[in-house]
Amino acid sequence: MDASTLTNVFTRYSGLFLDATLMTLGLALSALGVGLILATVFALGELSRFRPLAWLTTSVVTILRGLPELLIIFFVYFGFTHALFLLTDQFVELSPFTAGTIALSLIYSAYASQILRGALLAVAKGQKEAAKALGISRQRTFFRIVLPQAWRHALPGLGNQWLVLLKDTALVALIGINDILRQAQLISVQTYEPFTWYCIAALIYLVITLISQNLLNRMKQHSSRYVREVKA
Amino acid sequence: MSMKTALSYLPELMKGLGTTLELTFASLLVGCTLALLFTLVLTLRIKPLNWLVKLQILLFTGTPLLVQIFLLYYGPAQFDFLRDSSLWPLLSQPWFCAMLALALNSAAYSTQLFKGAIDNIAPGEWEACYALGMTKGQALGRVILPHAFRRALPAYGNEMILIMKGSSLASTITLMDLMGYASRLNARTYDTLTVFTMAGIIYLVLTGIMTLLVRLLERKALAFSR
Repeated sequence: MDASTLTNVFTRYSGLFLDATLMTLGLALSALGVGLILATVFALGELSRFRPLAWLTTSVVTILRGLPELLIIFFVYFGFTHALFLLTDQFVELSPFTAGTIALSLIYSAYASQILRGALLAVAKGQKEAAKALGISRQRTFFRIVLPQAWRHALPGLGNQWLVLLKDTALVALIGINDILRQAQLISVQTYEPFTWYCIAALIYLVITLISQNLLNRMKQHSSRYVREVKA
Repeated sequence: MSMKTALSYLPELMKGLGTTLELTFASLLVGCTLALLFTLVLTLRIKPLNWLVKLQILLFTGTPLLVQIFLLYYGPAQFDFLRDSSLWPLLSQPWFCAMLALALNSAAYSTQLFKGAIDNIAPGEWEACYALGMTKGQALGRVILPHAFRRALPAYGNEMILIMKGSSLASTITLMDLMGYASRLNARTYDTLTVFTMAGIIYLVLTGIMTLLVRLLERKALAFSR
């Protein structure tokens, strides 16, 4: 292949890969949004003083963490249709994007809830007591005093988990979402050049990961700007 | 879903258990050996090699495992010289490709773990070794590494479980492991919820057993620190 055909090929396929990258990012970000909400619910559930609730949440989280990601995605995608068929006798298919978002956010929240729980427990008790002594309401204490400090503890862990989530999105190619990996698959079947196109897919994932890492480092610095560092 | 049909799926699913376990342990073994070598290279700062190791870690921790598996399995077919080479019988085998991808992936993550554990060893231990007249290699081999690996054990246990779960991706390159049999059974019976629940239970049992084993090992290895 000479240089001019190479540029030709790249202009032809770059648009496709751009769309696929946006699809991957869209899926990852929506899973992150839903996942963070779920994670907060799970974390508060596990910290609940109502024993059965705490026990139930712990077992759900443990089960989610013990199952292969692929199984969870298939379970949600194929299982939803099956469950609805059993209940209503109708054949309804969940869109792959919705199924992917649900499955990925469940996986993310199972790990993120542990991080959040640890972070909430890491905030010194005196902070809460001081807020109470100042007459600040319980809700305000949670949102203005405890949560911002827990955030600082949770950020590195949540960031790592985001990187894991980003890589897990590749699995949705298997339920037919047109993401980076699926695009590479389609083009490599057409061109008989699997090595080239899977390498390009890998490279795109790598670039997204590196940009994410950079942003996360900045966020980490920002979130700990009030923390004094002792230099030995 | 009745209990009876659910149990009738078990023998079929169990056929894949062997492949899942083989794949997991083979790739953990190869991955751990590579990680040990890589850690040595990084700690002793062996010049051109440590750049390669860093590149390997960047590539394999920065990209999805599924992409790595596809690249290793489908990729080599593009090159005629590889197809004609004596390596081809190995490279065209899904089991070998999945094992290699899992092993290289595990090696990258484990190296990070081991290196982190070594960096976290108190500097006093190194100094004590030097004060006793040990060389850097001796200190590393006799004191630092044994200590660091014990410290890294809990995190390595997680890595083992991740690889076991990751081995399910081998089913995407036609390998009949637990997940492979589950997918086939699902396609044949359309009894999705039951089939995947049964497969999930088997995976959970495996995770549970691995967690227990690592706990036991930890208790033995870290007995001195209690």
